[in-house]
Amino acid sequence: MAGKLEILLLDDEPIVGKRLKPALAKIGCNVEVFEDPRKALDRINGKTFDIVVTDIRMDEIDGLEILEHVIRKSPRTKVVMITGYAMMAVAREAMEKGAFDFISKPFTPDDLRNVIAKAAQALGSPIDSETATPEEPSEPAETR
Amino acid sequence: MPVVTLSSDSDPLSREIAVRAATALGYDYVDREILKAVAERHGVPEADLHKTLEESPSPFGISSKNHARYLAYIEEATLAVLLKDNVVCRGLAAHLYVRGISHVLKIRILADPKKLAGEISSGRTPSFEKVSALLKRRERVRRRWSLDAYRVDETDPSVYDMVISLARIDPDEAVKTIVETTGYRKFKPMTYSLKCMKDKALAGRVRAALMDRFPDVRVQADGSSVVVQTKALEREKQKRTEIIKKLAGDIPEVAAVEVQILPDIFRKAAESFR
Repeated sequence: MAGKLEILLLDDEPIVGKRLKPALAKIGCNVEVFEDPRKALDRINGKTFDIVVTDIRMDEIDGLEILEHVIRKSPRTKVVMITGYAMMAVAREAMEKGAFDFISKPFTPDDLRNVIAKAAQALGSPIDSETATPEEPSEPAETR
Repeated sequence: MPVVTLSSDSDPLSREIAVRAATALGYDYVDREILKAVAERHGVPEADLHKTLEESPSPFGISSKNHARYLAYIEEATLAVLLKDNVVCRGLAAHLYVRGISHVLKIRILADPKKLAGEISSGRTPSFEKVSALLKRRERVRRRWSLDAYRVDETDPSVYDMVISLARIDPDEAVKTIVETTGYRKFKPMTYSLKCMKDKALAGRVRAALMDRFPDVRVQADGSSVVVQTKALEREKQKRTEIIKKLAGDIPEVAAVEVQILPDIFRKAAESFR
């Protein structure tokens, strides 16, 4: 893999993408944000991402379906699940289906950056999750 | 890698399997050996800690207050070990208080009833009826103990991820099965499950620190924030809140303490009759 990490971020709450996109851009990632799972799936069909970050509970298509689709299309892609309704059974199901990691909301941008750094490491392209450009505006404490 | 908790109706057999599984996996092994350090740390008799893990509270044994206190000390110490990951844990009742954490593989080992009969009759050959009655009694005692201590029936198979009957599977196969199962993706630690374990461990530390003063205390942790619940009379609220905040706040990992005082209706009623 050369250049920036390509990340697709899917959450039906607009605030999540709005907050996390700049947080991930800070560590040198190209982030495409989607709120509609169908549009996200279309994009995943058209482009291979290094990392997909997806909410689990969404209308119409849930995050586990997205996970299965991504793994089928690109087994190399790391899928990170995020949810405000974390439970052991769902967490185990996601891991069994091939998720790279699972985070419960609320989490801080740092939490996500650390997970992205682990995924980048696993992809063979380590990044520094501590890298932050001080001139950028301050980010929210946590994402709900 | 996952954490493995092993519970069984046979102490020697489960020990053998737990040690062999830990060795095969390259994991640490933890059991009641840690109780010596727990006793020293809290200045309580080690024998009472062992007794707490075996017997329900009673007027002739461990009092309810001490039972809860000793369990809190044991939980605190066990959770601190489990937090490190790559551990096989046996004999500390962890399967009852480390619940809902996806990377904890909970296993129940059921001994072969014939061997168990030999174990409990110390080599003598009592009648089938006598052994049957003894085994049933033992199971009732354990069931009662787990319900008293954690409101969970430890003889219920649904508590576990896997139940292995040594009447049908020999110990070698049991060890092999445990080792293989730890490799399943579903038991892999993840950010969420590691956080759950961390929260549980911190709650355990805070609870152990508060138990001497407030035996009814309930604690939940989320990151470095803890919520403490206890019962008190209206006039005790302020003082109690201050003490709890001080004691919990002394734990370095705690950044914020919220104290929720619930009305102690029984004491209130008792006072109103005086």
